[in-house]
Amino acid sequence: MPDTLSVTLSALADPTRRAILARLAKGEATVNEIARPFDISLPAVSRHLKVMEAAGLISRGREAQWRPCRLETRTLKAVDDWLSRYRRFWTESFDKMDAYLAELKAKEKRK
Amino acid sequence: MSARLADDELLITRTFDAPASLVFALWSKPEHMKRWMGPANFTCPEVKIDFRVDGAYRAMITSPAHGKNWFGGVYREIVENKRLVFTFTWDNDGPSAGVETLVTITFEEKGGKTVQTFHQRPFLNVERRDSHVGGWTSAFDKLAAYAAQIAKEHSA
Repeated sequence: MPDTLSVTLSALADPTRRAILARLAKGEATVNEIARPFDISLPAVSRHLKVMEAAGLISRGREAQWRPCRLETRTLKAVDDWLSRYRRFWTESFDKMDAYLAELKAKEKRK
Repeated sequence: MSARLADDELLITRTFDAPASLVFALWSKPEHMKRWMGPANFTCPEVKIDFRVDGAYRAMITSPAHGKNWFGGVYREIVENKRLVFTFTWDNDGPSAGVETLVTITFEEKGGKTVQTFHQRPFLNVERRDSHVGGWTSAFDKLAAYAAQIAKEHSA
């Protein structure tokens, strides 16, 4: 596996791919079904799907000729976890910032 | 700052009982930053700051359970006591390795207190960033919400 998270984030940085994900959040779909609402060619949609598959955002069925696409929720969960870790990092840092400011203020008063 | 951003990205607003100049100094001066940077149970023994636009900073937080974690970045915008923009990237080889983020902080003083508005988003290279003009950030939390929802459904 490559550096999964940055690959995932890069793959997400495209409006068409985000729209495809939104579509797949409702359930699996074939390339034709995915392409229908978009004003782009089937090969262009296929290229997007390839990027998304490489990034682990979607998987494609092997069992059927039309290879339906589905969301890989684990990968999206990793993005969610990543954001949560940062939220905790900063929230707890800012708690310490608050305490430190109070300490500085108390020192200032003693002078 | 546009109101639209409040719905997206990582956004944390805090009010500190201190003037903006002091809150700003907590970000710009190593001796201050060492005292607060990092989650509970972490200390921050190393901070080096070259506080100018295009200047770099580097710091390390450590805890008995997690060991040393280095991070750093480059200052993009500095408006004394008002606004600070810098990149933030972890050195480590964990899941966040190599993912550059952009942090924007504004400081607004009101009656001796300071409202600090912090936000952070993934920072993609210029070519990619310009090709979608900020579009991806609005989708980010929505995707995170999807993920959480779907994960819940799967585990149910």
